Amino acid sequence: METKSKKLQAKDLINVGIFTAIYFVIFFAGMMLGYIPIFIPLLGLVCPILCGIPFMLYLTKVKKFGMVSLTGIVLGLLNLIMGSGVLVLIFGIIFGVLGDVILRAGKYQSWKCTLLGNGVFSLWIMGYVSRMFLTRDTFFASLVSSYGQEYVDTLMSYTPGWMYPVLFIVTFIGGILGALLGKAVLKKHFEKAGIA
Amino acid sequence: MIELRNINFRYAGGTDAGGLVNIDLIIPDGQVILLCGQSGCGKTTLTRLVNGLIPNYYEGELSGEVLLDGKNISRLPLYETAKYVGSVFQNPRTQFFTVDSTSELAFGCENQGLPEEEIIQRVKSTAEQFDMDNLLGKNIFSLSGGEKQKIACASVSASNPPIIVLDEPSSNLDMSATKDLRRMIQIWKQQGKTVIIAEHRLYYLKELIDRVVYLKDGRIEKDYLALDALKLSVTQQAEMGLRPFDLGAFPVTAHPVASSGSIECENFHFAYTKQRDALDIDSLSLPQAGIIAVIGHNGAGKSTLARCLCGLEKHCKCIVKIDEKPYNRKQRLSLCYMVMQDVNHQLFTESTEEEMLISMAEPATDKADAVLDRLDLLQFKERHPMALSGGQKQRVAIATALVSERKILVLDEPTSGLDLQHMKEVADELVTIQKMGKTSLVITHDYELIVSCCTHVLHLEHGMVQEQYALDAAGLQRLQNFFIESR
Amino acid sequence: MDAAVTTLKFESKAVIPTDPRTKLFLTVTVSTIMITGGTGGFMNLVRPCLMACPIVFLLLSRKWVAAARFAVTYAILFALELTVLPLLTGTWNFILGAAVGIYTHMLPGFIMGYYLVSTTTVSEFVAAMERMHVPEKIVIPVSVVFRFFPTVKEEYAAIRDAMKMRGITTLRSPMKMLEYRVVPLMMSIAKIGEELSAAALTRGLGAPQKRTNICKIGFGPLDIFFFLLAIPCWVGFFIC
Repeated sequence: METKSKKLQAKDLINVGIFTAIYFVIFFAGMMLGYIPIFIPLLGLVCPILCGIPFMLYLTKVKKFGMVSLTGIVLGLLNLIMGSGVLVLIFGIIFGVLGDVILRAGKYQSWKCTLLGNGVFSLWIMGYVSRMFLTRDTFFASLVSSYGQEYVDTLMSYTPGWMYPVLFIVTFIGGILGALLGKAVLKKHFEKAGIA
Repeated sequence: MIELRNINFRYAGGTDAGGLVNIDLIIPDGQVILLCGQSGCGKTTLTRLVNGLIPNYYEGELSGEVLLDGKNISRLPLYETAKYVGSVFQNPRTQFFTVDSTSELAFGCENQGLPEEEIIQRVKSTAEQFDMDNLLGKNIFSLSGGEKQKIACASVSASNPPIIVLDEPSSNLDMSATKDLRRMIQIWKQQGKTVIIAEHRLYYLKELIDRVVYLKDGRIEKDYLALDALKLSVTQQAEMGLRPFDLGAFPVTAHPVASSGSIECENFHFAYTKQRDALDIDSLSLPQAGIIAVIGHNGAGKSTLARCLCGLEKHCKCIVKIDEKPYNRKQRLSLCYMVMQDVNHQLFTESTEEEMLISMAEPATDKADAVLDRLDLLQFKERHPMALSGGQKQRVAIATALVSERKILVLDEPTSGLDLQHMKEVADELVTIQKMGKTSLVITHDYELIVSCCTHVLHLEHGMVQEQYALDAAGLQRLQNFFIESR
Repeated sequence: MDAAVTTLKFESKAVIPTDPRTKLFLTVTVSTIMITGGTGGFMNLVRPCLMACPIVFLLLSRKWVAAARFAVTYAILFALELTVLPLLTGTWNFILGAAVGIYTHMLPGFIMGYYLVSTTTVSEFVAAMERMHVPEKIVIPVSVVFRFFPTVKEEYAAIRDAMKMRGITTLRSPMKMLEYRVVPLMMSIAKIGEELSAAALTRGLGAPQKRTNICKIGFGPLDIFFFLLAIPCWVGFFIC
């Protein structure tokens, strides 16, 4: 069947749903760490690592262009519905499509492209963090009136602007590690069990 | 009319199991036909050819033609076939797509793009026909297995295909739900639909079927008129590996044993929570080293009893005493072990051997091997547990319980969906466990299993003990009253 | 015809009759403005309103427990800001300040999302998406996702029970803890998924013609009222 059509069929769409569901659940479990805000930078590392497991199994099931984009969109929509704002959806779309493009370049087979693809796709998580950086100036500006410029300057030094690209890199590395972990679990369990 | 012409099929990448060889079969309109045979004989495969899942979903090498009124089903896309063939599957938990029962009934019609008014009309009349108005507008996750299966049948019926295919539909059903299923098939028969049923449990079908096709190793071995099939003696049926059409005639091989002591359960009270039934038992005495069948209707509290016994319900303050030694909830977690209905949940590691080792307080390979050998699993010790067959997985779960020296084993529906031979294997395992001095509780609605091995029966209703008896001659009569007369 | 529609029962979770699209719009309104909106001026008026609004909705829907729980969370945040925060200096002040700041910005959106999810059935979501002309390629995965959340919950509960009985809940290496939980979960989800798609396909999912949807949703006066309420908030958002 898979050779018959390059387009996503109903069967594939159901698979997209199933794996996006489990991806989201595992992601959410990782997010629980984020209840303590100082861990938020860590989320970018932890969540993609955990999510590598469902993602790698997912890649054995569908292998068609559009799968990762759809996952990104659906993840974004879920976050939208749950009140995380529009930014996560935008990031979901952008990095979903990018991830898909990279994976397609490797025909959904090449290991290098898989590593890179999961790394890039994982950046959708930056949708959470980005809003803090994008609204950083207004946030601090609002503090000036009540706390004074000097105080706000000290605060700003704790969250330097260069943190933002660093978080991107951290998340990307998380995605790479996640793909490695996913691959290991795939070999150790899913292939032996005959479900991959 | 359905015509299968010279069909040969092999599943991709698999063994020969479930494949088909040289099948020629003509099913006229309006016939109710039973496909039977041992596991792996190809009856499920045959149903998948009719509903088009082979070759459009399950992959493999197929030759020959499946014709429906002259149209080749294998070449039709599945959404076209769906208009002619409706399917009901084995597992009630996995075949609903929506979450709301009303939407579920409408699902097939909605996919066909029928006009709204007509769908509403159909949903209403289907619900009326199957007497299930009370099930409309419910969250399907809140329904029991029997009710879910009823929804599955009704939703097929609502899209009104002329052919209905059922693949082991009663596997996960208790007796009263099986009765409902029989009534629904009856209605389809009256409507003149062609009904194809692949099934292991035969007793509920005997008044419905017109024809019986017996498969063996992928070939059609016998093709009976129903009348002739019903004349087969129980011994003949057993030789064919079939469960009986007539439960009462099934040979009783169970023996009551004098119990060496008793397990006292006290204060089994458990308040109603959303998913589970209430339990209200002050005291209960179970024979040690017995094989106790736990029977009762849906909602009787069988699984709640099992969960409380195993220490899984935090809020149950019950106490279990063995030889005067009391065990509290936490202690019971390592005293009892439950083999779950879906045994996939309780296998964690990458090899059968390791599965054994993590269960032991002091891992010792020789001890693990001894237990594996006893349960005929030694050859699989390097294999991934999930790659084993259903029965083997079940035995691995039992083996982990034995190796961790549990005194009480609880098995939740261990024979659902099993053919005669595999059912007997389970019975043999239970006897083996019993000889090792363990007590087993078997939650079951499988009459054949009970009379094959159980020593005692515990009958629950409404969270209370209805009756409790040893399976001697008098006990057998009571058991038959429950299973056979009450049908 | 109308009689037929009204007598066909659907699962219902809502108390105030609002269209899922309205609820979605309000959720987006609250989350966007609270998270990325400006402060000061007119927004000083809008923000407290938006913070209170989800709680009001929960109360109107008789979700007493949830409303109380979230209200208490708000109270704790304010109490922290007023009492503990001024006492701290340096890094600790920053950490707590950021925490409180982030929570007060994000919580209203989450509560609104909670209200949306807890008062809308999956059928209504699907109907809403189809009305908004969301392509089928997105509608199908989203409905599968909603179908699967309860399944994941059931399966995970069963796995946890199994772990308890095996006595492997005690702390081991984090890798093992992850493996024992995630691997069996994925195995059963993959299996259930396979059976589910087979069943869905035999019932004609994926046919090229347009699907019908018999789930009734639609805008009423209440919906218009809520839309009107949201307008000044958005005006403020773009001006400030």
